[in-house]
Amino acid sequence: MAQWKKALVLFGQFFKFGCFTFGGGWSIVAQMQKLYVEEEKTITSQELLDITSVGRSLPGTMIGNVAMLYGYRVGGMLCGIACVIAMITPPMIILSLITYFYTLFRENVWVMNAMTGVRAAIVPIIASAAINMVKGAFRFPPCYILTAVAFILYLFFGVGCAELVVIGIVGGILICEYYERRELKKHDHSAD
Amino acid sequence: MITVLIDLLWSFVKIGFTSFGGLSMIPLISNEVVSHGWMNLSEVSDIVAIAEMTPGPLGLNCATFAGIHAAGIPGAITANLGVLMPTFTLTAAAAIFFQKFQKSRRMGQILTGVRPVCIGLLLGVIASFSQTNYIIDSAISLPAILIGIIDFVLLFKWKVSIPKVILLSAAFGLIFFR
Repeated sequence: MAQWKKALVLFGQFFKFGCFTFGGGWSIVAQMQKLYVEEEKTITSQELLDITSVGRSLPGTMIGNVAMLYGYRVGGMLCGIACVIAMITPPMIILSLITYFYTLFRENVWVMNAMTGVRAAIVPIIASAAINMVKGAFRFPPCYILTAVAFILYLFFGVGCAELVVIGIVGGILICEYYERRELKKHDHSAD
Repeated sequence: MITVLIDLLWSFVKIGFTSFGGLSMIPLISNEVVSHGWMNLSEVSDIVAIAEMTPGPLGLNCATFAGIHAAGIPGAITANLGVLMPTFTLTAAAAIFFQKFQKSRRMGQILTGVRPVCIGLLLGVIASFSQTNYIIDSAISLPAILIGIIDFVLLFKWKVSIPKVILLSAAFGLIFFR
């Protein structure tokens, strides 16, 4: 019973997120950051970053994947499914309406201007999520290099997210092994 | 009707499993929906424009649009479920796996590398959105930048909620663009 209630609450929250999924789903992450990390404190900003990375690198749509991962994390599979369905319902309703009033929508100057305004909000919204997630994302100095490499490969060479995550996995293991071994050596020396 | 729905489901399951979100989906989607006659090429390019203006990611919006053209509202629901199939299978499995191994040493190492990569990706997304959203008709749009700055202040200084910022920006758009 408790799980159904939790799923219902999550359904309401993700339905609201779904109404404002501009910018390819990144604004969802920003909204989750505000509600779950800052207000409810159900997850940390690092966990949200982990969920985002995993969700972004799996096939399908990012927001569906992120919703599933968060829902499962806080309440099991039922909550995961509830989050996904809730998240995609508003875009589906909105686009169904637009499809029927398609030409009207495309040629309306007011609509276009309002949407240009909304698009101008995307960068600040994504930035608000990014700034919070930076905290604790860099465990060792070489991690900054990984960020720079990912940025350059994504922006200038069009490398996909799945490939970038593989680079992150390999890089992470190498960096950690290096630092963990160095730490071990230090202990050996101090033991002598 | 049933055969159309099955066709839709299968096409969008394929699209779902072979795409990784965003604009990378377009060639795949356009192939499937044009070859089935659900949309023509100019409708595909229109839907890309609409998908960027409306809430919802591109893949789901295309599914809704093509689904409605092919079989009305049931078509839209079927096509959406198709795109979401990887979420209900692969991502669900990943969620279980992730929960189990989150505390392991190796997972800790992996996340140490994946987190910075994701930050890099976020910065990349910000950079590419800055180009498309503040440069309109190949000229820097001062009104758009002004709205961006106002939104920054609203979000960071006054902690205004994101839905409110989006609605306010739509209102600014009506005032500033003429």
